[in-house]
Amino acid sequence: MVENARSLNFVAGTVLFLGMLYILGPLYLTLTTATQSYEFMLRNGLVWYPGDQFFSNVIRIFSETRIPQQMANSLVVAVSDAIVTCVLSFLSAYALVFFPVRWGSVVFALILATIMLPLDIRVITTYQVASNILSPINALLDITGLNSLIANVFGAPVMLEWSVLNTHFGLIAPLVAHGTGTFLFRQFFLVLPRDLVKAARMDGAGPIRFLFDILLPLSRPSFAALFVLTFLGGWTQYLWPLVASSTPNMQTAVVGLARLAPDMEGVMPDFPLIMAGAVVVSIIPLVMIAVLQRYLVRGLVLSEK
Amino acid sequence: MNAIDTAIRAAASAIMLDKVSKSYDGTTEVIPPLDAELRAGEFTVVLGPSGCGKSTLMQMIAGLERVSGGTISFGTRQVQDLEPKQRGCAMVFQNYALYPHMSVFDNIAYSLKVAGMPKPERVERVEAVAKMLGLFDLLARKPGQLSGGQRQRVAIGRAIVREPGVLLFDEPLSNLDAQLRHDMRMELAELHRRIGATTVFVTHDQVEAMTLADRILILNKGRIEQFDTPKTIYHQPASVFVAKFIGAPPMNIVPVTGNGKVLRLADGQVMAECPVFGAYQLGIRPEDILLGGGPIKANLRYREDLGSHTILAADLGGNVLRIATPFGADIGTEAHLSLTFPPARLHLFDAETGRVVPGAFSQ
Repeated sequence: MVENARSLNFVAGTVLFLGMLYILGPLYLTLTTATQSYEFMLRNGLVWYPGDQFFSNVIRIFSETRIPQQMANSLVVAVSDAIVTCVLSFLSAYALVFFPVRWGSVVFALILATIMLPLDIRVITTYQVASNILSPINALLDITGLNSLIANVFGAPVMLEWSVLNTHFGLIAPLVAHGTGTFLFRQFFLVLPRDLVKAARMDGAGPIRFLFDILLPLSRPSFAALFVLTFLGGWTQYLWPLVASSTPNMQTAVVGLARLAPDMEGVMPDFPLIMAGAVVVSIIPLVMIAVLQRYLVRGLVLSEK
Repeated sequence: MNAIDTAIRAAASAIMLDKVSKSYDGTTEVIPPLDAELRAGEFTVVLGPSGCGKSTLMQMIAGLERVSGGTISFGTRQVQDLEPKQRGCAMVFQNYALYPHMSVFDNIAYSLKVAGMPKPERVERVEAVAKMLGLFDLLARKPGQLSGGQRQRVAIGRAIVREPGVLLFDEPLSNLDAQLRHDMRMELAELHRRIGATTVFVTHDQVEAMTLADRILILNKGRIEQFDTPKTIYHQPASVFVAKFIGAPPMNIVPVTGNGKVLRLADGQVMAECPVFGAYQLGIRPEDILLGGGPIKANLRYREDLGSHTILAADLGGNVLRIATPFGADIGTEAHLSLTFPPARLHLFDAETGRVVPGAFSQ
């Protein structure tokens, strides 16, 4: 069995090594390309050894592109997405687990449905709503016949309009409506001893005190894990920011990076500049993971007792 | 005796249950209307098999479950509609339910903090309780760093720090190992002697009930089978249920028929003299059966030597009869036993209701 295990280890190691090459290879190429000049790349193509132009490329990112402004947008979107998702998920899971909610299981099923119908699938309808978030009210007025009544009396039907496209709110709100966090907190609450609630009640703590004094401190690892995951999700969102923002000033960094490549045919994109931008844009999520990674694991294993 | 002891002794109040009932769906009653009076300062053990409603009863006393009908009074105060914190009772839970993120000090002090007690007073109270329970050196620790017995003591400290009029225990020893359970039993008995709180203790363990209780309330399907001192419950069980529930091994119960003079088994063997007619159940404790030279014949099936005593299982007209013999008694190796049932140690129960027939063997 020892030999067997050893050969198994060898195979596993090889597979792991190949997988690492597969993932790290392009990353390495990103780094080396970011250190070359545009002219060098035009002459030699993409090369596997580093050059000396990294800092001048980074300086060009900050001076010639809108990436810094767009990173600020990304930061606003990712942080707001993470905070609002945490708060909403925590509160909805609290209501679902600790209170006898009528139709609670239906509510939970609807929340889970957002996981099965992600934003990428709903992007067209979401765009329609975002372009006029009062359109549901218009539709309601139409269906109920109230609008024809109003048209008769006032001469014109009511057509409310409020577009949130090209605003931070419009970028963030659709990302927030996602059930993963509720599911995470719900599972965490369910493994807590049931007597904890009763003990708190015996000690005289009402629902609000229980929430702040007991549940919130115990949920810290779950909060950290959810915060990191949502932050990364918000930072790397591509499709929704692409359609929801039309001016460069409102676009996020990931969209901005893609826009650095010229649309014209026959022009070689400035890959060193784009790769340097990719490196700069990756720094914030990398720092985030480095700081919070131990919570990430602890919050997801759900065994905090 | 310190301030906490006196305060709890003074706060101890009687619990009156008046037609208390509980039903979750309005049709099936978990607890049919039930009356009982738990005296002030008394240690009452609520004993019963799982699912008999004992935990529900306790949670209704605590205020964690609403009553479906009837009233609960602490002393002269009706409390059935009050929140737990307004009732002045405290509870120790089966799995301790300590707050894992708080230190021992904060766990014990939490209820005082919620009640808005100023800090210096809080510290004084918690320290007094901690000293009483031997927790003083552990106040800074988290529950995760404590042993099972220490956690149990913290849970008790958390309960008594509020000087409750009523102290409730919900199977608090069932998570501990045998040795620790024994030690904690002694500690609990001692604590109760010291602080004299009105105590209700729910358990399914008859040893805990027999050793701790001033009075035992035996519940079966939400009904009180018997509510009396451990001694009376053991020696004068009010029903077949109680007789079978208390004692290890439990009381032997055999079906008999009376013809106005004697009680006979189905196979005709005479068990005892008794002037009754009809079907009955006859009970006798294993240790009350005398071996050797008696009129009752049984076949030995199996023997267990436990060191301090031996338990024999015999066949008595198709019924299993357990006999406990004192250590060293010469029982030989015979397969046929001759037994005596002393009339004073016999119990007669109605075959239908299972209730005891008082004075059946008193002549």
